[in-house]
Amino acid sequence: MSARALILAACVLLLAAVPPLAQLAGQLYYIDLIRRVMVFAVAAASLNLILGYGGLVSFGHAAYLGVGAYAVGILAFYGIHNGWLQWAVAIVASALVALVIGAISVRTRGIYFIMITLAFTQMLYYLGVSVEEFGGDDGMRLKVKSQFSGLIDLNDPVAFYYLVLALLLAAITLVHRIVHSRFGMVLRAAKSNEARSRAIGFSPYPYQLVAFVISGAICGLAGALLANHTAYITPAFMEWTRSGEILFMVILGGMGTAPGPALGAFALLIIEDLLAGWTEHWQIILGPLLVLSVLFFRRGLAGLLPGGGRHG
Amino acid sequence: MAEAILDARGLRKSFGALVATDGVDLDLREGETHAIIGPNGAGKTTLISQLAGNLRPDAGSIRFAGEDVTRLSAPQRARRGFARSFQITSIYRDFTALDNVALAVQAHAGHNFRFWRPARAQRSLRDPARAVLEEVGLGARADVLAANLAHGEQRQLEVAMALATRPRLLLLDEPVAGMGLEESQRMVQFLSGLKGRRSIILVEHDMDAVFTLADRISVLVYGRIIASGAPAEVRANPEVRRAYLGEEA
Repeated sequence: MSARALILAACVLLLAAVPPLAQLAGQLYYIDLIRRVMVFAVAAASLNLILGYGGLVSFGHAAYLGVGAYAVGILAFYGIHNGWLQWAVAIVASALVALVIGAISVRTRGIYFIMITLAFTQMLYYLGVSVEEFGGDDGMRLKVKSQFSGLIDLNDPVAFYYLVLALLLAAITLVHRIVHSRFGMVLRAAKSNEARSRAIGFSPYPYQLVAFVISGAICGLAGALLANHTAYITPAFMEWTRSGEILFMVILGGMGTAPGPALGAFALLIIEDLLAGWTEHWQIILGPLLVLSVLFFRRGLAGLLPGGGRHG
Repeated sequence: MAEAILDARGLRKSFGALVATDGVDLDLREGETHAIIGPNGAGKTTLISQLAGNLRPDAGSIRFAGEDVTRLSAPQRARRGFARSFQITSIYRDFTALDNVALAVQAHAGHNFRFWRPARAQRSLRDPARAVLEEVGLGARADVLAANLAHGEQRQLEVAMALATRPRLLLLDEPVAGMGLEESQRMVQFLSGLKGRRSIILVEHDMDAVFTLADRISVLVYGRIIASGAPAEVRANPEVRRAYLGEEA
């Protein structure tokens, strides 16, 4: 095993040890905090697929977080609490929204792509604000969490914690497999040199669109997790600042690396939490920290691991 | 005369007031190497871009193996057997040499909506890619990042990628541009090894390369072909000497 693999394995063990350690220390808050971080790490891992490997700078990934969360919330509102169904709807609905947004945005490049993904997410945000039935601006409470026929109880914070951890590892593995598959090689090649790809016979569009949809679907699952985590669903899930946060997690952690998005999610949210406990003006400190990290860790936190920010 | 594999008729392309391609007729027979020469700004790259499908001509038609391909995109033409090298080296710089060629093999093989099995473990992609790298003389450099290859090696890699798609037509835009004498001789030698086996359109400034490789030469000046024929004929053509080769040539 390489040093890099050992460090990452130790990180996973550490995550697995959080609930017993927190219980031992009587600090149950940490189970909640790390679970939230891992939910965002799933969202960041999904964005990494199209940003890190596809070169598509989506500035609207919070849309799928919102669609996934509202899918759970709306079904629960109508008395459907079956988690399998709720989460399946969350994933499929996010995939469909991603298909529509992607079909239009993936044809464009650069700043246009960023603005179109942002514009669609703003539309969804205002849709959430305007629909009074589901709480409008105030959002809606998720009175009953997703039910998994007695298999797992999401009201048990520890069981839910381990479910999120398992899904995070699954999401990272899935993205890792995809980017090393034939499909993934075509996706990465188009990022590397689009003219060359076209000259050997690849039209990048269908590959990028499919990646965009897969990415949206995974982020939709993160949304379903988030709804259950907060037991509250609000349009704020889809705010553009949220999209920016997810984007920043990937960049900070290391684009185009398997552990990068999770590292970025941890770094950003934990620092945010620490600073917020210290001063209410924490953003004044976080801002410069982020700028410095981009300047000095060009390859992200994953680039600091042994083996570097290799693209492999 | 054998049936032409590529047959372009009346190609016309202008950018604003500049007429870059002005009624060009051009054909290529199976197994032939047809060189296009001309002074800077004659419209050679514009012409080859229209043949490859990167630029749509304003008028005229392009037929390939009996099929009208005028309206097909570059990827569609590539899947029908077109392969192109660029005047400015175009490779996947952040992949290894072997990855570059394996991607070209993959482009030709299809079946690319497969999401799970690692592509680098697939011998059906790696073995043919390795063979082509050996063929162009980059066998020992397979695992080097393309960005770290020497300039001449990058040009070789680009040709390897073109060959790996098993092309029926090679469009080579200045394959020896920017190469040292020795590198360029090696490339010319390699390309002459393809002669007769591949149908090649060659745009090139290097006259030694052109006269070594070409079966036929067309001279492009201000978007028009002013002469076309066997190398000796073209060399002797007084109009060509005046317009391009210069009297001393």
